[in-house]
Amino acid sequence: MLRFVIRRLLLLVPILLGLSILVFAWIRALPGGPAEALLGERLTPESRQQIEEQYGLDDPVFVQYWRYLKTTVVDRDLGTSINTRRPVSEELKERFPATIELAVAAMLFAMVLGVPLGYVAAKRYGGPVDQASLVVSLLGVSMPIFFLAILLKYIFAIQLGLLPTVGRISVLIDIEHPTNFYVLDAIIAGDPEALWDVIKHLILPAIALGSIPLAIVARITRAATLDVQNEDYVRTARAKGLPPRIVDTRHIFRNALLPIATIIGLQTGLLLSGAVLTETVFAWPGMGTWLVEAIDNRNYPVLQGGILFVSLVFVLVNLLVDLSYALINPRIRVS
Amino acid sequence: MSVAEAEAREVQFEAPAGLWRDAWHRLRHNPSAMVGFALIGLFVFVAVFAPVIAPEDPRTGDLSRLEGSCCPGPSAEHWFGIDQQGRDEFSRVVYGARYSLLIGVVSVAVGLSIGLVLGAIAGYFGGVADSVLMRLMDIMLSIPGLLLAIGIVAMLGPGITQIMVAVGVTQIPIFARLMRGSVLAARENDYVTAARAVGVSKPAILGSHILPNAMSPVIVQATLALATAIIDVAGLGFLGLGPQDPATPEWGTMLTDTTRYLQTAPHLALIPGIAIVISVLGFNLVGDGLREALDPKFRGRA
Repeated sequence: MLRFVIRRLLLLVPILLGLSILVFAWIRALPGGPAEALLGERLTPESRQQIEEQYGLDDPVFVQYWRYLKTTVVDRDLGTSINTRRPVSEELKERFPATIELAVAAMLFAMVLGVPLGYVAAKRYGGPVDQASLVVSLLGVSMPIFFLAILLKYIFAIQLGLLPTVGRISVLIDIEHPTNFYVLDAIIAGDPEALWDVIKHLILPAIALGSIPLAIVARITRAATLDVQNEDYVRTARAKGLPPRIVDTRHIFRNALLPIATIIGLQTGLLLSGAVLTETVFAWPGMGTWLVEAIDNRNYPVLQGGILFVSLVFVLVNLLVDLSYALINPRIRVS
Repeated sequence: MSVAEAEAREVQFEAPAGLWRDAWHRLRHNPSAMVGFALIGLFVFVAVFAPVIAPEDPRTGDLSRLEGSCCPGPSAEHWFGIDQQGRDEFSRVVYGARYSLLIGVVSVAVGLSIGLVLGAIAGYFGGVADSVLMRLMDIMLSIPGLLLAIGIVAMLGPGITQIMVAVGVTQIPIFARLMRGSVLAARENDYVTAARAVGVSKPAILGSHILPNAMSPVIVQATLALATAIIDVAGLGFLGLGPQDPATPEWGTMLTDTTRYLQTAPHLALIPGIAIVISVLGFNLVGDGLREALDPKFRGRA
């Protein structure tokens, strides 16, 4: 087990190195550069030269790549954002928790609703819950996430006035942000009013972002439960007179969880795509809006640092998912 | 003609017709697939006859219609209301069907053709070609589709052709994997061994024996891919990476600014959004229906 983890972690090095080259090449292939994006019409050859010198963009590309690699690995420095002039790592510390908080809330929503829905649908195959689960999964994959976000905003925020429309917290509430996970920050501050405010801001974006995972989780849970239900060991367990509750939990549900764990891992990428759109609708200050803005502004340091960081998290999550198989299913031995 | 020859001809002529007739028979008895066909029919009809259906030009507006505030809602004269530039929203949604259909179909065609060729090569020739191509596909699959499309559009610049390329590229790996799997499965069939034994060349075997038999999962996937493509195109438009001219009546682009007017003019957001959902739903319903109809596991059950 430990050897497996170490080998997978070592494998990260070439993957990240390759990715960093790819991202670097892609960024330089974007038409225009930071100077054009910053100054637009007012760009003069002198001002362009000045900006390029300031950020070392006048050096040959491989010199730039080497310097980027050296500062990132040796100095653990991701550089300075060209637009805000703040360290990229500092912005990352604010943006990343925002997106993770949103993604975790979305995943929670999808699991808490999707797993029981799919499970009950399979147990009552062909019944009303089953029909409902089919409609939910069909709508979930047919509804563009940004349209759902706009709809939710229109109904719950504008028509009913129940929930806030933008941002992570009301401007009037002032608490410390030691972690930048606002839910945790509010708990640390011991401020129930702030906590409620933060949760209210989270609800709509989380539902919008969680809609596709909800559809997928419900469908997979249903299919997995239907499959497992017909296994020989389930019939044996029933035949030897185990109470149905025990068969349901230990034999059926536990084995049905396996494909669900896989799906959760695969959702990480989808959540990132969705986060870009959801964050745009709800003006959520997360990674999605940050990176899209950085593309617009040709903010090279933010793109280099941000994308690489996201990829690192992505690979780590997949490793965790692989490990979780072993925990859920002892039949799988990681080797 | 010997008996064996006659039988061979019969099999050749009957089998494909039988598969499709059978599938169609089952599709006809699947109500949700029929709803899907109706939705797609409506979508294609509107797209083709847009100039006849739309009462006004979708690009030019009349600001005097705005009456100070934005924007008059649905009325007898303007069924879907007026947008923030004084244009008839109904005409814009109708013309929008053209863009979604055109961009969707072309981008899936791009992804499908490249994907099929790569998948067929990987599956049929195996070896190094297989490993290299499939690892490349794995890498592409590991990047979330919309982000990959954003990256490509950012590199190529805004424009309809660029969107088609970007969305098409994100579809390549799915088709390549599918095709590789189908080819690997079909390659082991007796009729392929027989063809090889009588000396038919590799490309000819691939073209006339393996590909036709591997088509049904591809058709299912293409239908579902159209749904994804329409959503992705709208997503790019919504993020402001749509067609270069912002007056273009593309559904996603039409949604971009509307969150600002949500309080006064919700129809601007709701109507193009519903149009997207209807067309995507159509392709998803038909795709699911086709999958059931073409899957041998379901055969004879309808």
